[in-house]
Amino acid sequence: MNEIINQYFDLSLMGERFGEVFHGFLITIELSVVAGILALVWGLALALLRQLPGKGFLPIRFATIAYIDVFRGIPLLLIILLISGSLPYLEFIPRSIRIPEWFGQPDPFWYGVMAITITYGAYMAEVYRAGIEAVPGGQMEAARSLGMSHGQAMRNVIVPQAVRKVIAPLLNDFIALMKDTTLVSVIALNEVALVGRDIQGETFRSSALTLGAIMFLLVTLPLARLVDRLINREQRRFTRGAPRVEAL
Amino acid sequence: MQPMSTPTQERAGDGPELDGPVLKLEGIEKRFGGLEVLRGIDLDVKRGEVVCVIGPSGSGKSTLLRCINLLEPPEKGKIFLAGRDIFGSRDGGVGKSNGGVDFLRQRVGLVFQQFNLFPHRRALENVAMAPEKVLGQPGEQARSSAAELLDRVGLGDKLDEYPERLSGGQQQRVAIARALAMGPQLMLFDEVTSALDPELVKEVLDVIRELVADGMTMIVVTHEIGFARDVGDRVVFLDKGAIVEQGTPAQVLDGPREDRTKRFLGLVLER
Repeated sequence: MNEIINQYFDLSLMGERFGEVFHGFLITIELSVVAGILALVWGLALALLRQLPGKGFLPIRFATIAYIDVFRGIPLLLIILLISGSLPYLEFIPRSIRIPEWFGQPDPFWYGVMAITITYGAYMAEVYRAGIEAVPGGQMEAARSLGMSHGQAMRNVIVPQAVRKVIAPLLNDFIALMKDTTLVSVIALNEVALVGRDIQGETFRSSALTLGAIMFLLVTLPLARLVDRLINREQRRFTRGAPRVEAL
Repeated sequence: MQPMSTPTQERAGDGPELDGPVLKLEGIEKRFGGLEVLRGIDLDVKRGEVVCVIGPSGSGKSTLLRCINLLEPPEKGKIFLAGRDIFGSRDGGVGKSNGGVDFLRQRVGLVFQQFNLFPHRRALENVAMAPEKVLGQPGEQARSSAAELLDRVGLGDKLDEYPERLSGGQQQRVAIARALAMGPQLMLFDEVTSALDPELVKEVLDVIRELVADGMTMIVVTHEIGFARDVGDRVVFLDKGAIVEQGTPAQVLDGPREDRTKRFLGLVLER
């Protein structure tokens, strides 16, 4: 029992190295927020491209569906390695993009942002799509009958309703995204997992990793509760009969 | 209720024949897969005329309105609005001409059976949205006209309510105000009272009556035979995708010539 406590819950080790672990966790948070926002935007863009009407946009719809299928089917870790291991050497790309060091963040941070945005954009596009398809067809018809273009109807009528419906599943995806940022440790970004591993290698104890896990839980558990509350609220709205439709 | 002067706007590009029919349909055909829903509908609607369309369920009444509004583009036939050929003159009719689609939808108001209000917007915003986004009216102006319209349909005290807090009858009146806000030259009503509880039907019909008194041109698809008799200048009986009989309400409702019309009216009036 003592061994287990020494291995995972060595409070003095946690106290000594708290600063380093916390610093790593801040990088995790930064990466999560930047990649999370970009993935939310990119996912919506993909979902909208996928919904473009008419024959003329068929190639765009097809390309979008192919993108979404491909990047949902490839492990994020491989995308991270593919980007970080090749982008720096593609000399036709300007150096500031090949080896990005924007806003004082090192290049592995930005490779991570790219990989996560590409992958989670595809996941989130599917979530948005579910939301868009859950908006009753009469909404688009009403908007179009008032003379709105497809784009105006999407922007003013469909997307605002769709987003409301999918806030909870998007938050779920964000929680998963946040946990997956630890994969960026393999390209030497000094986030919480890498800091924990370094300390583990140095001390032969895992308590710094445990500390990192606890920090994760302090953020993810409240988020998970929030998701539950949002889902419950949505269901209550529904069962209370919010859409007042006398007959169907 | 105050008399309802609706803001019918004459815009640039409105047709040359101001005395001609507001709407002219020529040989409108529509099929869903193998099912022929409309088999060549011809119809003229004069300015200020109220045309009531009756017929059994599945006769194509709603599809006709949806074709006029191009929510369901017809496969064949021509649509003229205010003298302008909506599909352009090329290839003799149906083609994809977005200019025509916009021209038509901005001038033809459609009210749905299921209201289809925007649930994430208050009543006022429901009405003001299209004038602001489509006609480019300044927000202030769009909102004040919207408030006026809602007042006229008797909902001056519900401007800030969300649709889910309104009764069906109130929602439908907001929907009518929303369509009127675009200043339409023609209003289409698609069984607008069919989804309402019986006690809410009158308040919606009264609003339509006000519009009739005001000279609005309209096509009303309805199951309310009494209402059609009351307000219709003309009654059109539709069956199996074709116009079987049309005439004044007295002609069609009281002395129908066709057996199919007689049978239908027999069934409906029996209730």
